[in-house]
Amino acid sequence: MLSRAEVSARLSRFPKFDDTYLSLPYAPHMPGHMVRQTKEVIAIARKFNEEVARPRALELDRKTHEDPGYMPWELAELANKWGFYTMWIPKMFGGKGYNMPSMSYFSEEVGSVCLGIMNVIGVHYLGVSGVIASANLTLSRRIMNDVVQGEKTGKPCLIALATTEPGAGTDVEETDLVDKGKVTCHARKVKGGYIVNGTKVFISMGHVSTWTVLYAYSDLKRPSETSVGLMVKTGTKGFSFGTHENKMGQRVCPASVLVFEDCFVPDDQVLFDEARVRKFTKKPFREISQRYIDYVVSATRAGVGAFGVGAARGAFEAALNYASTTEVGGRLLINNEWVQCQLAEMYKNVALGRLAYVEANYANSHRGLYRLLQLKPFYYYLLFMPQAYFDNVVAPFLEKESSQKLMGRLYYEWAREPDQHCCSGWGSLAKVAGTDIGIKNCQMALELMGQTGLRQDAGVEKLLRDAKLVQIYEGTNQLNRLNLFKCLIAPAVPQARVFEE
Amino acid sequence: MLTSFKSDLKPFDELARSFAAKELTKKVEEHDRYPFGEFFTTVVDKMFDVGFLGVVLPEELGGIGGSISALCVILENICRADSSAGGIIFTNALSQEIMRAAKAEALARKVFPKASSASEFLVAFPSYIDPAHAGALPDAMKTGRGYTLTGSLELLVLGGLASRAVIPARIRDGSTYSFFLVDLAEEGIVKSDPVFTLGLHACPAVDVTMKGVKARLIGEPDKGGLYFKEVSSKMHVAAAAMNAGIMKGSLGEALAYSKERFQGGREIINWSEVSMLLAGMAIKADVADMCVAQACLAMEQGENHWGSHCIAAALHIHELACEAVTDGVQVLGGNGYMKDYGQEKRYRDARQVQALLGAAPLKKIDLVRGLAGLAAAGSPG
Ligand SMILES: Cc1cc2nc3c(=O)[nH]c(=O)nc-3n(C[C@H](O)[C@H](O)[C@H](O)COP(=O)(O)OP(=O)(O)OC[C@H]3O[C@@H](n4cnc5c(N)ncnc54)[C@H](O)[C@@H]3O)c2cc1C
Repeated sequence: MLSRAEVSARLSRFPKFDDTYLSLPYAPHMPGHMVRQTKEVIAIARKFNEEVARPRALELDRKTHEDPGYMPWELAELANKWGFYTMWIPKMFGGKGYNMPSMSYFSEEVGSVCLGIMNVIGVHYLGVSGVIASANLTLSRRIMNDVVQGEKTGKPCLIALATTEPGAGTDVEETDLVDKGKVTCHARKVKGGYIVNGTKVFISMGHVSTWTVLYAYSDLKRPSETSVGLMVKTGTKGFSFGTHENKMGQRVCPASVLVFEDCFVPDDQVLFDEARVRKFTKKPFREISQRYIDYVVSATRAGVGAFGVGAARGAFEAALNYASTTEVGGRLLINNEWVQCQLAEMYKNVALGRLAYVEANYANSHRGLYRLLQLKPFYYYLLFMPQAYFDNVVAPFLEKESSQKLMGRLYYEWAREPDQHCCSGWGSLAKVAGTDIGIKNCQMALELMGQTGLRQDAGVEKLLRDAKLVQIYEGTNQLNRLNLFKCLIAPAVPQARVFEE
Repeated sequence: MLTSFKSDLKPFDELARSFAAKELTKKVEEHDRYPFGEFFTTVVDKMFDVGFLGVVLPEELGGIGGSISALCVILENICRADSSAGGIIFTNALSQEIMRAAKAEALARKVFPKASSASEFLVAFPSYIDPAHAGALPDAMKTGRGYTLTGSLELLVLGGLASRAVIPARIRDGSTYSFFLVDLAEEGIVKSDPVFTLGLHACPAVDVTMKGVKARLIGEPDKGGLYFKEVSSKMHVAAAAMNAGIMKGSLGEALAYSKERFQGGREIINWSEVSMLLAGMAIKADVADMCVAQACLAMEQGENHWGSHCIAAALHIHELACEAVTDGVQVLGGNGYMKDYGQEKRYRDARQVQALLGAAPLKKIDLVRGLAGLAAAGSPG
């Protein structure tokens, strides 16, 4: 009925087909094995919940109130033993290479029991994404190898990521804001490396991590054009920890203060800086920095959306259990219409939040950070080749300058802005959708459960405390709404300006 | 707002405000550590000294004989600073009001005028239930001139601090229940450690089990539901005033922070989206204030349906509060989530206050059944 050109013209109008319907075109391209693997991941998460998370969540929360100095060493060791810290590291870097999108389902499952425990596992992948998205293959291999060794030796090697500063939280999430902000973490180029001075705050798992991806600036007056990504090892001279925060929830997962005083970081621990980036792209460095941030947050915000969905589901399950076992006026609550509608509403919220992160996963898988890994031939190649092949044959190849350049070009020089916008916008959408319904369902469960809901030993009040954090970290939901606007709406409105009011 | 309608409430307003500033504001976080930190006994003693533990209790019984409006003004100011202190005032007033509704003056005379300390004056109550909706209540058995109670009760507020408790129990099977006064030092009572709850940490509750515990009937047998209904309408406004205060506290802290915190080169209040968050909070806090004032006036003037006005106002205010305090955390970003600021506590406390006097959805159903002239949902048939 319509010519191809007519169809294409109409579908490229706002809202563009490509940015709106993600699963429709991409689901058929998904390697079939991903479904089986994701089922396995969900089952592993449920087993972990039964054996580790559920028996400990409330007791540990209580313990952190009794002892605010609590650190989750034992939990990290357990997660390490279960193989979670290498599970989603690609095989070419020595990990188990589970498909990245499966992690969001895992996050929902474990998050439905305890968001704090989930973050003890999950925030490591904020670090992993921060390393891998740099396209610095040598350093990625080195750091990931430490993580793999940590699993073998039973001494967890975790990666934290530090961007937030006392005076700059929202500002460091956006290159458009950072130049107007008050960043203070300075990286001065010296012979053989950088010397860093400054403080980072709210760094999840800082105290417990071995490596930190540190975001600093070589010129504090022009941070957007001079950002530097560094890998700093805990114990390095000049790098120390301050306190960790006394939080409302997610208390098993510390948020640390990191202090850098004349801390020397050698050149071979520079993840990216302008000099490195120049090897593979001539694009303005500011643009590259934003793309790097977008690669990371497009993936991790979808993950935080799944955390929120987890909280929503935990609340739903608690309410369902309560309604199924509690009588009012001689009738089980669950046999009241209003309760059935409330439970249906909560179930619906969970489902919609999940759909949002699934769509974001499709964006990342086909147009973002995971796009190489999710190409069918490459996916099966990674799946079926033995690890020794990667260690002995692929590794030396990855270290080559030409491979690094190719990777850099692929991810930065040749990457398309519309793809970046789609992934980043959907990351924000999933984050806001999932985390808002997290609070919504916790509130509904609490109201339905009356005084039982107030008790820490009933679990829901903890979910409510935990859930508030996910509306804040990985950029506040306000920042994420603005990013959604910037990425998915503003491109269709030439006169729209973001962060310039 | 109440004080502008009724100038006789001004002294209560000033007293509560200065008490909060002097005794509560600076130590909110420290007090909130309970049950993992020290209990603020000296503050409770001072609340007793100034009369906050007996605001609505008649003077001849050792109270200050104030109205529910006076109680609301006090609660609002106290909860603006620390709602745990408000929870203590509320619960004690609730126990007293039940005794008053039951015309149990003789019993009250034995308790209150003779009390020489806060712990003697405090009377515990299961403040988070409407006993009509509670699945199981303790059983009461007639023994000689009195009764004995057997059974258990969750979240008896102040149960670990008070000398006595008002306990709902059933004399016979069915939906009716009666209130009893129990001496908490009696044999046969086992109290749990303070229950760790979402909010109001320094207004602690315990779970109790009773086995043949001596108790005195308050008022008439099987009239508990009636007394509770009479008291609950009024006390709903008091609970609403608590959340109105919490909202004002949250708004105050958010406004102050947004004028100091810089992001993107300006005070965050100058980002219009932050202004929108603040505006939402301000509107809710204002509406809450007006609702409390109007509900108090309706009650005092004995307007038709004043009871349902009061409950409606409370239900509405609690919903507004839970939203406002969530935004109150959000305006402070990561800091809002930390115990160094007051917002995270308000986020928890508002929800705990919402749960006073029973689960909100059940109250809604009762409200509409009341309007339609039908029996409450908990009633049989
Ligand atoms: C427990 C915890 C763990 C964390 N973990 C990490 C971590 O591992 N690594 C890391 O780097 N960071 C981490 N963070 C930091 C987190 O990402 C920041 O808290 C978040 O980005 C918000 O920054 P902020 O706290 O400075 O709030 P602010 O930026 O000061 O924001 C305050 C308020 O102003 C609003 N606002 C600010 N600017 C604007 C604007 N331009 N337009 C509209 N509204 C605006 C915000 O939405 C918010 O409501 C963590 C935070 C917490 C609380």
